[in-house]
Amino acid sequence: MHVPIKQYYGLLSKYLRPQRSQVLALSLLILAAIGLRLANPQILRTFIDTATESGPREVLLRLAALFFAIAVFTQGLSVAATYVGETVAWTATNALRLDLLEHTLQLDPTFHKDYTPGQLIERIDGDVATLSNFFSRFTIDVVGNGILVMGILGLLFREDWRIGLPILGFAVVTLVLLVWIRKLAVPHWTKYRALSAEFFGFLGEHIAGREDIRGNGAEEHVMRRFFGFVQSMFPVRLRSSLGGYGMWMANVGLFAFGHAVAFGVGASLWRSAMITIGTVYLVFHYTELLRGPISELRTQITDLQRAEAGIRRIRALLSTESCLANGGSASLPRGPLALAFEHVSFAYETARSEANGPPKESPRVTALHDVAFEVDPGSVLGLLGRTGSGKSTLARMLVRFYEPQQGVVRVGGRSVRDVQLCDLRRAVRKVPQEVQLFRATIRDNVRLFDPSITDAQVLQALAQLGLRDWVARLPLGLDTMLAGDGGGLSAGQAQLIALARAFLADPGLVILDEASSRLDPATELLLEHAVDRLLEGRTAIVIAHRLSTVERADQILILDDGRVVEFGAREDLLGNQDSRLRRLLRTGLAEVLA
Amino acid sequence: MRTCQALWRLVTYRPGLYSANVIAWIGILMAELAAGYVAKLFFDAITDASPAGLTVESIIALVVGVGIVRIVTILIGALTDIRHRYTMGSLLRHNLLNQVLALPGAQPLSCSTGEALNTLRDDVQVLEDTISWIVDQFAFAAYAAVALAILLTIDARITTVVVLPLLSVLVAGRLVSKHIRRFREASRRAAERVTGAIGEAMEGVETIQLAGAEQHIVEHIRVLNEERLHATVRDRLLTQSFHAFFWNAATLCTGLILLAAADGLSAGTFSVGDFALFVVYVGILAEFIAAFGDFMMHIRQAGVSIERMAVLAPENRQEAVVEHVPLAIRGPQPKVTLPQRSPGDRLSELRVENLSFQWPSQTTDEDAQRPSLTRISFTVCRGEFVVVTGRIGSGKSTLVRVLLGLLTKTGGRILWNGYPVDDPASFFVPPRSAYTPQVPQLFSDSLESNIRMGLPVSSDVLHRSIRAAVLEEDIPHLHDGLQTLVGAKGVKLSGGQRQRTAAARMFVREPELLVFDDLSSALDVETERHLWERVFERKDRTCIVVSHRRPALERADRIVLLREGIVLGVGRLSQLLETHQEMCDLWQGQAFRSGQRP
Repeated sequence: MHVPIKQYYGLLSKYLRPQRSQVLALSLLILAAIGLRLANPQILRTFIDTATESGPREVLLRLAALFFAIAVFTQGLSVAATYVGETVAWTATNALRLDLLEHTLQLDPTFHKDYTPGQLIERIDGDVATLSNFFSRFTIDVVGNGILVMGILGLLFREDWRIGLPILGFAVVTLVLLVWIRKLAVPHWTKYRALSAEFFGFLGEHIAGREDIRGNGAEEHVMRRFFGFVQSMFPVRLRSSLGGYGMWMANVGLFAFGHAVAFGVGASLWRSAMITIGTVYLVFHYTELLRGPISELRTQITDLQRAEAGIRRIRALLSTESCLANGGSASLPRGPLALAFEHVSFAYETARSEANGPPKESPRVTALHDVAFEVDPGSVLGLLGRTGSGKSTLARMLVRFYEPQQGVVRVGGRSVRDVQLCDLRRAVRKVPQEVQLFRATIRDNVRLFDPSITDAQVLQALAQLGLRDWVARLPLGLDTMLAGDGGGLSAGQAQLIALARAFLADPGLVILDEASSRLDPATELLLEHAVDRLLEGRTAIVIAHRLSTVERADQILILDDGRVVEFGAREDLLGNQDSRLRRLLRTGLAEVLA
Repeated sequence: MRTCQALWRLVTYRPGLYSANVIAWIGILMAELAAGYVAKLFFDAITDASPAGLTVESIIALVVGVGIVRIVTILIGALTDIRHRYTMGSLLRHNLLNQVLALPGAQPLSCSTGEALNTLRDDVQVLEDTISWIVDQFAFAAYAAVALAILLTIDARITTVVVLPLLSVLVAGRLVSKHIRRFREASRRAAERVTGAIGEAMEGVETIQLAGAEQHIVEHIRVLNEERLHATVRDRLLTQSFHAFFWNAATLCTGLILLAAADGLSAGTFSVGDFALFVVYVGILAEFIAAFGDFMMHIRQAGVSIERMAVLAPENRQEAVVEHVPLAIRGPQPKVTLPQRSPGDRLSELRVENLSFQWPSQTTDEDAQRPSLTRISFTVCRGEFVVVTGRIGSGKSTLVRVLLGLLTKTGGRILWNGYPVDDPASFFVPPRSAYTPQVPQLFSDSLESNIRMGLPVSSDVLHRSIRAAVLEEDIPHLHDGLQTLVGAKGVKLSGGQRQRTAAARMFVREPELLVFDDLSSALDVETERHLWERVFERKDRTCIVVSHRRPALERADRIVLLREGIVLGVGRLSQLLETHQEMCDLWQGQAFRSGQRP
C-alpha cells in the first residue's frame, strides 16, 4: 500500500506555498542544468566525427573549450541549487516540526502515557528529517529527471525512429520495474522505523534511570534487553536495506540490457551507413546518460520510501485527535471561582486507535463513581484518600485532562466543557506533583517562555516565595541557565519554582497536588507560608497525603476507590466522633506518638 | 582518542567479515570495470580496429553476461555490508550504553538525555557510514590500479595528461576540507539543541498544558529551529561546493581527453573504442576521486562524532567506546550471572570515616547550590536502622549517593566489616546493598520486570518483597496484575505506586544493606504506616534511610543529623533533641503542624 499522490501534494502545497518564489528559482536552476546535460553529448559527437574525418584542429580546440565552459557553468548552477534547495527544505520541515510539536503538545495525557519522550523526539524530529530531501528535491528532481529522460528520448528520435523506439521501450520497462520493486520495500522500512523509535525510547529511558539501575546492580539486565533489541531488529534491518540494494541490482541488470539494445541498433544502422560513427557513440552516450536520471530517480525513490514511511507516521500523529473537544467559547471571570461536581462518573478507556502506534494498555481501572460536591468561592477543600483512590483523576478533570462520562464538572458556575480550554487553564491552575524544569534561564523556567511577562513580575513572584535572595546571589541572576533535568536545583527549590509559575498565572482556582512532599520540615514552613499567600483570595483544592496539610482546609472530602465516602466542613467532621476524618486523625496521632 | 585509532579498532572487530566485505566490493567494481571494457570491444569491432575479431553478436551476449555477474556481486556485497554495518552500529551503541551506565549513577551527564540520544542515534550512524565507506576506498583503489594499467597500455601519454590533473585535484581538496569540521560541529550543536528542547517539552508536557504554555514553548523551539536552519544550510553549502569542485574536475578531465585524443583520432592511432574506454574509465575514476573527497570530509565528521561519543564515557576510559566485546546479532547471547553471595558479603559493621565530597569545580555556577559534604563519620551495625536527617540542602541525599558510589567521594574511607571499600560503585550492589532513590525511575516494561530488573528469584521472594513494599493490594486493581505494562517512566502508575514499586525492587534483591531516600514522600498516611511496620517487622534488616518522618526518627537506632554537609550530631532521637536545636527545629516543624489538631 502506498501513500496516494494526493497526500504528497497536500504536504507539498501546504509547506511550499509560502516559498513560491524560492521554489520557482530552484526549478529554473534545475532546468538550466538539464539543458546543459543534453547539450554535452552533441559536442562529443561533433568532436568524434570532426576528428575521424580529420577536420581542422582549431574546430576541435573550440569544441573542447565549449565543453569546459559548460562544465564550469553546470557546477555553479548545482551550488546555487543546493543553497536554494536546502533553505526551502529546512524552512518547510521546520514549519512541519513546529506543527507536529504544537499538535503533540495539545494531545491529552492518555496519548502521552503511551509514548516515551525518546519516541516522540523520533517522531517529531527523526521522521521529519527523512522528509527534508523530499521537500527540497523530490518533486523538482522527479520532474527534472523526467524532462531529462524525455529530452534524451526526443533527441534520439530526432536521429532516427529506429533508435528512439527501442530505447523508449527500454526506459519504460526500467521505470515500471523500479516502481514495482519500490512497493515491495516500503513495509520493511515502516517496520524498521517503528522498531527503531521503540529502541531509542528504551535507550533514553534507561539513560535517565541510571541511578536506579546502578544502585540496584541491574546493568546486566539493561544490557540483556539491549541485546534483545539488537537481535530482533536485525532481520528487519536486513530486509529493509536489501530493498535499497534490490533497486541497484535491477538498475544494473536493466542497463546491461539497455546497452545491448543500443549496441544492436547502432551496429546495424552503422553497417548500412545510415549514421556516422559519432552518432553510434552518441547513442551509446545517451543510453549511458539515461543512467543518471534513472539512477537519481532510484535514489529519490529510496528516499521516498523513507519519506513515505515518515509521511505515514506524521499523518498518523497529526490525525491522532485529542480525546477532548476544544471546548466552548465561554470564559471565566477573574477572582475566586465556585466549583461543583454534579454526579460525575469516569472510567479510563481501555483502548484508543492510532495508526502504527503500539498496542494500547490502560491498566488502571480506577474510576470515579457518582462524585458530587460543591465548594464556595474562596474556600479551601482538602482532598484525602489512599493512593489510587481517584484524587489525581478528580483534580485532572478540573483542568480537562479527562472528561466525565456522566455528570458535569462546573467551575465558576459553568460546565468546564463550555469554557475555552486556554481560558480554563489560565483560571484553574494545578501545581503538579513532579516539577519539570527546562534547560533555559531561570526567567524562562518561571514564566514558561511567555515573553509578555516582565522581569519585574518574575522577581515579584520569586520574592513572594522567599527566592529573591537566592536569585540575587547568582552572578547571572535571572539569566542563570538551569540544567534540564533539574540537576541544578534541590527538590524544594524546584517546587518553589512550580509555585512561582502558579503565582504568575493569577488563577481563580488552585489545585495543589502534594506540593509540599519531599521537603524537610524547616523548608516546608517557609513553603507553607508561601502557599498561604497563593491561596489568599482564591478557591483551592489541596490534595493532601499528610493530615497536617489538611489544617488549612475549610472543607474535607475523602475518596475511597473512586467514591466520596465523606464530605463536609472540617469543623463539623472533627466534631463527629464517628467521622472518617476523626479515625484518620487517630491513626495520625498514633503515627506521631508511637 | 584519535580518529584513526578509533576507526582501526572498529575495523579490526570482525576482521573476517570485514575482509569478506572488502573482497565482495572489489568484485563489484571489477565487474563494473569489465562492463566498461566491453564497450571498447564493441566500438573496436564495428570500426574493425579489434585485434580479437569478436563479432557484434558475441559482444552483445558479453554485455548481458557481465550484467548478470554484476548483479551477483552486488548481492554478495549487500549481504556483507548490511551485516557489518549493523554489527558496527550495535557495538558502538552497546559500548556507549555500557559506559553511560558505568558512570557514577547520580553524577549528571555532560549533556541532556536528549543530546545523549542524539549521539546514540546520529553519531553512531556517521561512524557506521565511515566504516562502510572505508571498504569502498579499498575497492576504488583496486579499480583505479587496474583501470590505470589498462589505460597506460593503450596510450601512456594521454593517460598521463589526464590523470595528473586528477591527482592535483585530490591534493587541493585535502587543503579545503579542514574548514568543514567547524561548520559540521556548529550544525550538530544546533540540531542537538532542537532535539534536547523537544525532548524536554515532551517530558514536561503536563506542566506545559497545565500552564497553557504550548504556544510559548513552540515559539522557543522556533528560535532554536531557525538557528539550526542557518547552521545546516551553511554546512551543506560548503559540503556541496566541495563536492562540485571535484565533479567539475572530472568533467574537465573529459575535456582534456578531447584535447589529447584529437590528433590520435585523426591519425587513426587512437580508436573510437579507445576514446569510449577513456571517457568511461576516467569518468569513473573522477567519480571515485569525488567520492574520496567526500570520504575525507566524512572522516572529519567522524572525528567530531567520535569526540562526542567519548564525552559520554568517563574521562580516563574514552577508548572504551570502541572496545571489542562479545556481541551476537543473531543466536544466543552471553548469560546473565546471578550475584553470588559470599561469606565476606555478610555485613557486621559498616563504618564511614571522614567522608567528603565536593562537586568538580569546572561545572556550572548552579553547582554552587548543590550541597557538598565535609568529613562525615558514622557507623552502622548489623540489624540497625539508621536515619539520615537534616533540612533541605543539608546533603542527606548526597551522603547516601556518595556512600553508594553514585557520586565519587573526594575524601575519606568506607569500611565494610573493617575492610576498606576501594570502589564503592561496584561494591555497593546486590547482594551487599540495594537502593531506592528519592525520585525513582521506572521503565516501559511490565510491573514484574520493573521489580525484578532481570533477577531470576522465585515468585515466593517476589511476593514477599511486594508485600514488604505494601504493593500487594494495588496489584489486583491493575489491568493485568503483575504483567501490567507501566508505560514510559511508569506514568500509568500513581506517584505512590511508583515509589512502592521501586521499594519492592530494592526488597526483592534481599540485600545485606537497604538504602532508601525519602521512601514515604508520595504515600498517604495509612500506606506509610504500613510500610514502616513492615520495614521494622524484620529485625535482621540493616537500613540507612533518608527521612524526616517521625516514625522513622523515633525508631532509629541512630540518627545522623546533617547541616550544610557537616554532621551536627549522631545519636538516638532523645539525645539529639536534648543537645541540638536543629533537631528540635526539625522535630518541631512537624510538631507545630500536628499540634493544631484538636
